[in-house]
Amino acid sequence: MNNVKRRAFLAGIASLALLATACGDDESSSDTTQAPTTAGSDSSDAPTSSAGSETTAMPMDLAGELNASGATFPKTFYEEAMAEFMSIYPDVTINYAGGGSGKGKQDLADQVVDWAGTDSTIKDEDLPGFKGGDVLYFPTVVAPITVSYNLDIEGLQLTPDTIAKIFLRQITNWNDPEIAAENPDVTLPDQAIVVAHRSDGSGTTKNFTTFLDRAAGPDASGIWTLGAGDTVEWPADTQAGEGNGGVAQIITSTVGAIGYVDLSDATDAGLNMALVQNSSGNYVGPTVEGASAAAGGAEINDNLTYSAIWADGADAYPITAQTWIIVYKVQPDAEKGMLIKAFLEYVLTDGQDLAGSVSFAPLPAELQQMAIDQLDQLEIG
Amino acid sequence: MSVTTTSHTPTLQERLRGKGGHADRSFRGVVYVSGFVVLAVLALIALTMFDKSRAALSHMGLDFFTSKRWNPPGEQYGVLSYIWGTVYTSVIALVLAVPVSLGIAIYITQVAPNWLRKVMTYVIDLLAVVPSVVFGLWGILVFAPHVLGFYKWLSRTFDGWPVLGNIFGPNPQGRTFFTAGIILAIMIIPIIVSISREVMETTPQTEKEAALGLGATKWEMITGAVLPHSRGGLVGAVMLGLGRAMGETIAVALVIGSATGQITLNALTSGNSMPAVITAEWGEADTLKKSALIAMAMTLFVMTIVVNMTATAVVNRSQKRMGVR
Amino acid sequence: MSTVLTAADLRGSRRTWRVIKSKLMIGLTLLSFIVVLIPLVTVIGTVIAKGAGIVFRDFPAWFTTDIPVRTRAEGPGMGPAIIGTIVITAAASALAIPIGILAAVYLNEYGRNSRTARTVRFLSNVMSGVPSIVMGLFIYVVYTLRFGLSGFAGSIALACLMLPVVIRSSEEMLRLVPNHLREASFALGTRKSRTILSVVLPSALPGIVSGSLLAVARAAGETAPLLFTIGIVTKGNWDVFSGPNTALSAQIFRNASAVQAGPQERGWGAALTLVAIAFLFTVLARLATSLYQRRQAR
Repeated sequence: MNNVKRRAFLAGIASLALLATACGDDESSSDTTQAPTTAGSDSSDAPTSSAGSETTAMPMDLAGELNASGATFPKTFYEEAMAEFMSIYPDVTINYAGGGSGKGKQDLADQVVDWAGTDSTIKDEDLPGFKGGDVLYFPTVVAPITVSYNLDIEGLQLTPDTIAKIFLRQITNWNDPEIAAENPDVTLPDQAIVVAHRSDGSGTTKNFTTFLDRAAGPDASGIWTLGAGDTVEWPADTQAGEGNGGVAQIITSTVGAIGYVDLSDATDAGLNMALVQNSSGNYVGPTVEGASAAAGGAEINDNLTYSAIWADGADAYPITAQTWIIVYKVQPDAEKGMLIKAFLEYVLTDGQDLAGSVSFAPLPAELQQMAIDQLDQLEIG
Repeated sequence: MSVTTTSHTPTLQERLRGKGGHADRSFRGVVYVSGFVVLAVLALIALTMFDKSRAALSHMGLDFFTSKRWNPPGEQYGVLSYIWGTVYTSVIALVLAVPVSLGIAIYITQVAPNWLRKVMTYVIDLLAVVPSVVFGLWGILVFAPHVLGFYKWLSRTFDGWPVLGNIFGPNPQGRTFFTAGIILAIMIIPIIVSISREVMETTPQTEKEAALGLGATKWEMITGAVLPHSRGGLVGAVMLGLGRAMGETIAVALVIGSATGQITLNALTSGNSMPAVITAEWGEADTLKKSALIAMAMTLFVMTIVVNMTATAVVNRSQKRMGVR
Repeated sequence: MSTVLTAADLRGSRRTWRVIKSKLMIGLTLLSFIVVLIPLVTVIGTVIAKGAGIVFRDFPAWFTTDIPVRTRAEGPGMGPAIIGTIVITAAASALAIPIGILAAVYLNEYGRNSRTARTVRFLSNVMSGVPSIVMGLFIYVVYTLRFGLSGFAGSIALACLMLPVVIRSSEEMLRLVPNHLREASFALGTRKSRTILSVVLPSALPGIVSGSLLAVARAAGETAPLLFTIGIVTKGNWDVFSGPNTALSAQIFRNASAVQAGPQERGWGAALTLVAIAFLFTVLARLATSLYQRRQAR
């Protein structure tokens, strides 16, 4: 189904491209602005009608370059999707520079990149800075942020309060009675805790601290006092690494270390990951299923922004991060616009099947459909 | 620079000043402009930095320099702990690098036979061109994970000692001030060696022979004649090394451990330095934080410039005294 | 340190002790050289041991294939970074070396000891101490924000770092050109610009080349000025002026913080490539120097 849809859509693009070349420069710009919108809606509304022609127009004529930057959290998934997309269309190049959500937002605002990845929404006061006008949010995947540690114990159970105390350095040894109380069947070692966090400003930090702020912050137990942000004022006797990989490196090389890492890197590094107590009181491990459950329980706004952190649901993993690709609604450059649309379409359809292989969870079906529908709002040309 | 529009054949005087003829004048113009590029670039850096850092400086006031609280969500930007990290790692680097560098320079200039001198100079040159990011890569993947045992030993051995007990404090980590200091030391040794070498080579042969003639041993000749003669230049060499250490970014960013607000003598704990913070946090920074980071860059710029100016002045003065220039 | 000697010192046991002490201290100076050899040999050894595998496996795949789009993937591909390092460093050299040499000509042939020349000389020394990260931020603010990410933005930043080095070494070489050459040329009625271009510069050329090559070797290894200015790509980009680019140093930095074996190995491979390039330029510089010395000796 998805596949058919995509092809139909791409057929639309292909014919449009031919049309655009045929029309030449004399054509008024309003015509070209209209055309892609129709093509887009054709593809999603009535895919069967054009089903006959699309195989012949196998979209080899999709070409060009897209530059992007932004969140490092979904980078592994985007790289996977980009690699597949570029193997389908060899003439397409997409560069995703990473650098952090903030960098992505800033680069898009300055029109340095064509699309950006971000784990956090744009602040209202920053919106006027976006030189290209309105911005659309396309949710892409969700994924758990693990609380990983270096101890010879698997499946340690931690409550948000305990995690908050550990990261605030109020609990400094693994044999602390509070940890022991949550893990009655485990013999905890007399081992100093080393806290590892991100050195670079990061959406992952923002989401992790948002979790602590919601679950143990001023409105809850009041233990977590550092608020939520891309970087927060960590206690001085903690360490930091560059990127998720950097944190994972510290945990791997330091006995007794604990830190927050995306599931993909934590899995690759072979780290032990804690089960975290969710809002229903259940201890849930960081899995793709737990992330899907959390995303399913989240409340979604009209512009497709939402937060899956500390979401309701008995099986929901409480530190589940959402992430978006943001693009300008109006794409004056037809070639780039079509490329962006094609890539987004791919990420939201076939690309979803790739998520699981790199430890990301696909979007819940309802949200996926909303995102696909939103593609029609892109104004290309 | 008044350009005289003369039509007569240029005199020798004018030719010597490069004012004779059209080609001469345009060449002279090009050369002057090139000379002033340095001024222009430096001025532009200073102006840009100043302009872009104003937002943060007026937001924070003097607290920017005196507070160690770096709390972006609360819009508090105090760089004191990062200044400390920059200074402390550089000092550690100097303590480790200076004796070694001077030793090498002495051996090369005063002891080594000609062929060995060439080999050693060559080796030091090679060390100088190993890119800092390569040291960083080695530091983070090889050195930091394996040095922990040594740090634990240091920490145990000096436990309870005055000063050293504080410097080699409890709970050592792999990525620390000390790790950064060691890597920096390796990187600044070639600089200090090459300048010290140049300075020591200027010691007049007569002074050295006089010392030896009086019955001094070789070492007494070195401490009695060579070192006093080149003291000024050596101070300059050390300060240039300090300047380089303070500005080093990538290697330090990888191995220092990136802890916030850490002001402590304990060298075996994680800290952070100004260049490392800029590298790590620039990506995610909003407008005010960007301004704060640029203000940090400006602080670093001013610190290194003061060190370098002093160093240059010291070297120049000692060179003048030795009649080099 | 006092070196006042008495006759008694020159005889007997004190003398022996002083000789021993001298030998001991000189031994220590030799030891300090060996101490420095340890990190040099370890670093280079590790880089070769961990990097050679991926660089020479499936030769020449490492140099010709693209960087894998999936960071976590294993296997070679550093072609784009090699291209980037070459074009960015070349553009930086094209900017910094001519300007640097001309500025040195100004300092040594025109300005000499005038107040302006002394200021320029002093500031050039000061400029050589500007931290590379500051240079990177500066170029980001004045260039990248206006013209976007490109290799050239990195080139300008590198050029700013190279400039004082080139000025300093070139000026030193010009100063070594004997004055009688200039005088002879003037005596023949040659103009000053011609004298400089056809007599002074050629005779200082090997030395200038040597200094410039060393500056190139350093610049090729710089990372901090490139982080914010050139972006990142996985396919090669020969066009230094437009579109993002990448470089060996940037790839090393990126891969240093990875946990997977694939990117770590690529990091080591990139380090080996970069060190090899830097050493190559150093050796070339050495050759130029020895050429110069031979010419001087003639």
